[in-house]
Amino acid sequence: MLVEIIQGTEGGGLVVIKDSAECDGRSLLKGFVKAAVLRNEPVHVLGFEVSEDELRTGLDSGTASRLVFHDGYSDPLQWLGQGKLSVQDYSAQNMRNRISQSDDPKVVTLVIDSLSWLLLHTPPTAVCQSLQELSRGGLKVKRVVALLHSDLHEQGVVGSVCHMATALVTVTPVSGSVSAEAEPNGTVRTLLRRKTGRVSREEECYSVREDFSVQILRDLSTRKQPTPDSRGETKQDDPAANLTFNLRLSEGERLAKENLSLPFTFSEEKKSSLLQPRSGGGRILYEPDASDDFDQEDPDDDLDI
Amino acid sequence: MFPELNNILNTSPDKCEQGQFILVSDSKTDGTFLIHHFISFYLKAGCRVCVLGLVQSFSHYSAVGQRLGLSLPQAREKGQLVFLEGLRGSLDVLLQDGPIPDTAQPLSFLRSPVPELRGLFEFVQSSLSSTEEEVAAWGPPVLIVDDLSVLLSLGVSSGAVLDFMHYCRVAVCSRMQGNVVTLVHNEEEELGDEDSELLLRSLTHQSSLTLQVQGLATGYCRDIHGQMELRWRGGSQGRPGRDQVKLFQYKVQDKGVSFFARGTSSAVL
Repeated sequence: MLVEIIQGTEGGGLVVIKDSAECDGRSLLKGFVKAAVLRNEPVHVLGFEVSEDELRTGLDSGTASRLVFHDGYSDPLQWLGQGKLSVQDYSAQNMRNRISQSDDPKVVTLVIDSLSWLLLHTPPTAVCQSLQELSRGGLKVKRVVALLHSDLHEQGVVGSVCHMATALVTVTPVSGSVSAEAEPNGTVRTLLRRKTGRVSREEECYSVREDFSVQILRDLSTRKQPTPDSRGETKQDDPAANLTFNLRLSEGERLAKENLSLPFTFSEEKKSSLLQPRSGGGRILYEPDASDDFDQEDPDDDLDI
Repeated sequence: MFPELNNILNTSPDKCEQGQFILVSDSKTDGTFLIHHFISFYLKAGCRVCVLGLVQSFSHYSAVGQRLGLSLPQAREKGQLVFLEGLRGSLDVLLQDGPIPDTAQPLSFLRSPVPELRGLFEFVQSSLSSTEEEVAAWGPPVLIVDDLSVLLSLGVSSGAVLDFMHYCRVAVCSRMQGNVVTLVHNEEEELGDEDSELLLRSLTHQSSLTLQVQGLATGYCRDIHGQMELRWRGGSQGRPGRDQVKLFQYKVQDKGVSFFARGTSSAVL
């Protein structure tokens, strides 16, 4: 399902890539950029976290012309007065104006790197509103792909942003190497909210090649679902097979075993014998012995009262 | 500088990499020995080094540098080393009644109600940006911050510290192709310290190499002072890839630090 989302056939308005400090999601983001550019779609990148050079590394020169980088990395807080994109400039209207400045008639894929940077500098409500306006579609923006570092924000903020996504891609590190032919970059869990209202989930192992094309190595989702098997017992190995001694019971032995009542089982006969009073059976006869006569007030028995 | 660490990091003073953001974090122990390593390493590599010494005085660093075979006062006189004396400067800022003297201007955030580290960044930028002759004389610039957690204790918000580090990264790593090394303390006992955790996680995302120093989980040991985890982040410098992780144990000695694989300490074998 990840490949369909990258190719654009699924997962319309807003795609959020969620990563953490253990596993980086930027290479997957660049995979999205690469795929959009190969489809001849213009891509506008709002870069706040990495420089333009680093973003363009690995993407060949043919893609360079279709990639427009809005530089929010060099001077986001206007300390240097360089007049580039600053964090206060960020709003849906401003972004749309910036995109319209390019002459390209086609609809644009907008990539935001990263939402975490915006969330640390602008209130989450403003970010969510702007995302909603941008991803609603309309004239210029076909799709918004954003990167979010889930461990830098509170759970509520992350949840609110991810709730708005039509496709949520969570990247987690993979433990150990899975296959011999290619080292996976990580495991990706995709959640797709379709227009019909159905939500589908999948889990796959992916790797990003040097040219930023994304390859699915293994589909892990079928392994996770438990399949209820009513005939599981007969399919299990019989532990009494292949032994040098006999552990099985013949028919007569089995009957005798079932008929045997264990000594301390509370059966019907025991219950009735305890409940009914037996004549002369349960009485206690006590004749006090001379030494048993223990007087509390005169323990030595030497008082003459 | 520690030759064994150079081997582990696969670098040498002749061929140090550029554009790197190195994060050193320590918990339950002191990771400042790595800062001393990087100071002496980059000075030996001939780079121009700016050190923001916010926790110790210059004489402390020069004493350690002398044990590692380097003379920091000499480097300072030559102009190769720029050192910000945080302790002395902060006294000038806090105890003065009048206007702040120019030498203590970078620390003016100590007095302002909403601390912003713009002045500190301008100090870094002015000390590391150089004319054409200087660029020819010295190698790429290096910024070493010791350390960032003390800024959090001084009342600077984690957002302001992150903005400062962002601008340093822009200026030093991207524009001047230099390196940035910074130290962050990770106190696990103070579980409610969200600012410190946010700072550490955010810088981990931005770094290309993380050195995480921890005391041993089993407690104090005479022969093994702790363990160090190195993590080269995949996806740094724009290339795809997985994180590479290596784990070593170390022992701090009088004139150096010895690193060895886990379980191969000389006391054990």
